[in-house]
Parts: sequence; C-alpha cells; structure tokens
Amino acid sequence: MGYSLTTLWYERQRYFPAILAVGFSSLLGCLQFGLLLGLFAIVSIPIDNSRADIWLGAPQALSVDLGRPIRESQAVDRLASNPEVDRCETYLQGFAYWAKPNGGMELCMVMGCRLDDSSLGRIKQLTPELHHQLTEPGSIVVDESDLSRLGLKNIGDTAEIVGNRVRVVGLTKGVKSLAGPYVMCSVTTARSLLRLMPEQITYVLGKCHDPADAPKVVARLRAQHGTDISVFAADEFSFRSRWHWLTKTKAGFALGYAAVLGLLVGAVVTSQTLYAATAASLREFAVLRAMGIPRWRMSVMVMTQASWVGVVGVLLSFPAIYGLSKVADIYGVQVLLDWRMVASVSGITLVMAVLSGLYALRSLKYVEPALLLR
Amino acid sequence: MSNPRYFCGSLNQSSGVIERLYNEGEPLRLGETIMQADNLTRGFGTGSQFTLAVDHVSLEVLSGQFVLIMGPSGSGKSTMLAILSGLLKPDSGSVYCLGENIWSLTDIEREQFRLDHCGFIFQGYNLFSALSARQQLEMVATWGNHFSQQEARLRADGLLERLGLGGKGHLRPSELSGGEKQRVAIGRALIKNPNLLFADEPTSALDWTHGEEVVKLLRHLTREEGATVVCVTHDPRLVPFADRVFHMEDGHLVRQSYGYMSHPEEAVLPLPEPGEILPGPGDVVTFRPRIAP
Repeated sequence: MGYSLTTLWYERQRYFPAILAVGFSSLLGCLQFGLLLGLFAIVSIPIDNSRADIWLGAPQALSVDLGRPIRESQAVDRLASNPEVDRCETYLQGFAYWAKPNGGMELCMVMGCRLDDSSLGRIKQLTPELHHQLTEPGSIVVDESDLSRLGLKNIGDTAEIVGNRVRVVGLTKGVKSLAGPYVMCSVTTARSLLRLMPEQITYVLGKCHDPADAPKVVARLRAQHGTDISVFAADEFSFRSRWHWLTKTKAGFALGYAAVLGLLVGAVVTSQTLYAATAASLREFAVLRAMGIPRWRMSVMVMTQASWVGVVGVLLSFPAIYGLSKVADIYGVQVLLDWRMVASVSGITLVMAVLSGLYALRSLKYVEPALLLR
Repeated sequence: MSNPRYFCGSLNQSSGVIERLYNEGEPLRLGETIMQADNLTRGFGTGSQFTLAVDHVSLEVLSGQFVLIMGPSGSGKSTMLAILSGLLKPDSGSVYCLGENIWSLTDIEREQFRLDHCGFIFQGYNLFSALSARQQLEMVATWGNHFSQQEARLRADGLLERLGLGGKGHLRPSELSGGEKQRVAIGRALIKNPNLLFADEPTSALDWTHGEEVVKLLRHLTREEGATVVCVTHDPRLVPFADRVFHMEDGHLVRQSYGYMSHPEEAVLPLPEPGEILPGPGDVVTFRPRIAP
C-alpha cells in the first residue's frame, strides 16, 4: 500500500469529510441527471418501446413528437429500396387538442400504428388484447395515470379530439406523459384525429434483417437524399429527441446548475481538508526537503491522496445512488441511471477531487526546512 | 558534481581509514577537512529590530568527527547549523563542503548536494504519524535514492536492526518511546548514507538514559560508519562524546576545544584567524574504524 493510501487509511477521520463531500457531489450529480434523463425519456417512449430499427420522417426532425407530414408512397419507397430492410410500415404521431367530457381542453399526443402482432410502431405496453380492441374506428387507449388529466373516469368514457368522437377502450400502465397524455390508436383513427390527408403520414418505420445494419442504411439514405428527409437509427433518434427537449426547455441547465453547485461544495470541502491535512505535516515534509528530497515528490503524494479521496468517495456514493433511485421508483419518479451518465458524472467528480488536490498544493509552499532549526 | 551518495566502504588497510567518495575517484579520508566556513555573518530583522545571529564566524570540520556546536539560547548555534548545512543563506562568508562552495551553487544544485551528502536530525522527531518506522526510512530511500521498494525495504530493515529497532519496523510513532522515535529519525537521516549528518538538539526531548543512547549512536556512526556529525546542543553531557566542540555566545565563536573522547584532558585550541587551517588529521584521528556491513 502506498504512503498516500496508508496515510488516508490511518487518518481516515481527518479525511472523512472530504470523502463524504466527494460522495455527496457524485450522488447529487447522478441523481439530478438521472432524474432529468428519466423525465425526458418520456419523450422517446414511442421509439424506445417499439420494434423499429429505422425512423424516416420529414426534413429536420428535431424530436419524435415534432414530426411533420410526409408523402407515404415516396417515403416507403425510399426506405424499402434498401436490401437490408426487411419490411416497412407507416406511423403517425402528432399533437392534437382533447376536449374533456366535462369541459376544458388538454393537449394530447396521438400515436397511430398498425395493429397486427408484427407491428413495428406498436409500443410494448399495448397488449394484444388492447390492440385488438383498437381496430374499431374511433377507439383509443390512454395510460391509467392520465385518466383524471383527460377528465375520464372509466374505460368506455368518451371525449372529443378536434371534433372527432373517441371512446376509451382500454388502459396501459407506465406510459407516462410530459407535454400531453399519449393517446394510442390505429393508423386510420390517428389520420382523422390529426387531420392528415390519405397520402400523408408522419414516419415510415423500418425493420432490418439484421438490426446491426441500421446505421449503414441510415448513412446510405442520408447520402442519397441529403436534406430531403430525416432518417435515424432508433437509438440515435431516441437520444436526439431527449436532447432536443433537454436543451430547449432549459430544464437541463436548471438541474445541471444544481449538480454544479454540488460539485463546488465537494471541491471546497475536499480542497480545505487536503490543505489542512498537508499543513499538519509541514514539519515532516520540511525534514524531507532538508534532506534534498525534491518538492515534486510531496506534490505527487498530495495529488495521489486527492485521487484516492475521489475514488473512495465516488465508490461509496454508488450504493446510495442506486438505493435512492429505487426509492424514487417506488414513488413513481423515474431516475434513469444510464451507465454513460454515471461514468461521466463519476469522471467529473474525480477530476474535481484531483483539482482540489492542486489547490491544496499551495500549502507545500510553506515547507521551509530552515524553520526547523529555529 | 558527481553522484557519490553511497558509502563506498573501501578500507585502506595500510592507513586504516574509511574512504568515502565525494568526487568520482577522489576518496575522502578520515581526518581530512570536510567542511570549512569562513567569516560567516547572518542577521535577522531590520532597523532597530536587527540582530546579528552569527557574527564573523570561521570554523573547520574534519571528516569522521563528532563535532558539537554549543552555546546558550540565542547564541546563534542553530543559525550556524542552518548555514553550514545549506538551509539558510548567510549574509556574507562562504562554506566549503566536500570541495564545493555550497552558497555559490544554485538552489537546485544545493538541493542535489543535500540529497547526495546530507542527513538531518531535528529536535522534534518529525515522523509521519501514519507511517511505520520502516516506511519512514523507505520513503527517503525510494524518493531520494530511487531505490526499488524491495531494495528500500531491505536497507530500512538492516538499518533499523543496527539501530536496535529490529522487530519494531512495523510500529508507528505513537507506538514507540521517545528514544526509539529519535532512533527512527536517525535511521531516516542515515538511510541515504550521508557524508554529513547535521543534528539539532537531538537529545533535548529525551531523558538522559535515552539521550545517552542517542549520543552514543551518533558517536558510533563516526567511528563505525565514517560519517561526520555536526551537532548543535546546549547540553554539556554530550561533550565527553565529542571530538571537537565549538562554543558560541552572542553570535561569536568564542572558543573551541577537543572533546573528552579524543582528548580526555580537554584542550582549549586557539581561535583561528580567518582562512587559517586548523590542526591536521593527526591531532584527532586516533582510532581505527571498521567498515559497516
């Protein structure tokens, strides 16, 4: 065990506040960003819960919920002409106004997909029983969590969407909404609710023989059609949709600001703890300096201590992060702990700890061997 | 400057002296001048607060000796030690150490000089509380001499054994007595095998039983290891162990004498004129040291 780690262990009570501060920074960062990802994962529910590998839509599609009408035949031809694509199907999605049975309006997100068992656009929460019921024109399914928001009480209730009468034939679980509740229906019903012409759709979805070919097909279509279309692999479109709302709403910045504050608190506590610990050993360091040991050796020791404080703090924060995310889940709040996000926050926290070590190095400036001889 | 650091350990059978290399190919024999200070002056403060801590002091130290600098508090002895050891720049004067004028070197060169040749023992033990006795020594060996961890450990264990701390290498300072802690501090100073060992009141924090142990150890180092020890103290009980004693008062070198060990009848030597060379090796080197393992 190195001198830094030995010191850290032996004087763990001294270093504990720094470790705690680092752990707190990591915890706060991960939970804040996890909450954010969980919140905006709602936007990409249609992508993440369907089976399509490729999404093709109108030019400059910023997010899946902001799709504009395109010509069905042309879009399908473009996607289907690729040999890697097994099959294509149409998909409709867009905002519409929901007139509550007891008065009042609500914005809702209409999703229209094919209803057969092999449908690409049907989200997994839409069970076979539900999609059979949706074959009847004007029938819709909403999520149970949105009932009161839509002014509904039970299955069988009716309402109006832009003048079209709709009837709730079933409820899903876990299809949460952000801007407006999801309203799931057939392509035919959706076309009338979104007031689209017979030839108009929002997206063409594609399934590849081998899902791994999706990026290749996407790249080819982009090369062929440039800015005439938007085409994405499912993962890419999902991320794009979330990122759009994350940046557009500024919610990301608000939560990010809180996470940065957490990092600052961690940095201040860590640097002060390391500074105090180093200052407490000034006489010992001075002996080494007297004997000609170069100052950089001591700097490396302090920086190694800072790194260990960072590593231990981050490692200790993981159980707390996962524990608290489970607690949030119980209360219906989704904290999405994507490994890339957790790795990034951990990395940033570690860098913060190391930078705190740099700040603490200033105490070594006071190492003066001649003082030992007074 | 070469990089001689380690005790070459060759014994000149004909003359019976340990040779330490201080420049490549130039052995330093016991009893030769290892350090010469000329006309050193050092003051502190400004204006009415100005105090001259060292006032035109010249002295010479011979290799392989145990030398004391004595005097009452405020006599300038610690300042003198700081100047001689390259830690505190004098206002004027020069210090030649192993042939180098150490105060004409750059800071980095002087640091390297200390790394190559000097060990220090201070009044407080100044040991890292978290590290074991062995680690205190290893740290200097690995950081200063670039030994591998394994090599440093072997050297540290060997040295602790010789210092009477065999089997205690795993103990931390809080688990050691005052005398043991000072011996660890001595070990830390010795692990580099320095030509010069500077000690500042090494016994002041110890009772005489432990203090005597430490002094005997320092004395032993000069005899067995061929090191030169320059020790600052105000404790007259150390005199019997010294080869030479420099007495300071109010920043002046007022007297120098032989220690009882070399000359049981303490002989007061005349103060040298600036630049004058003191009596040669034959005066004091009366022992036949052996090589340390």
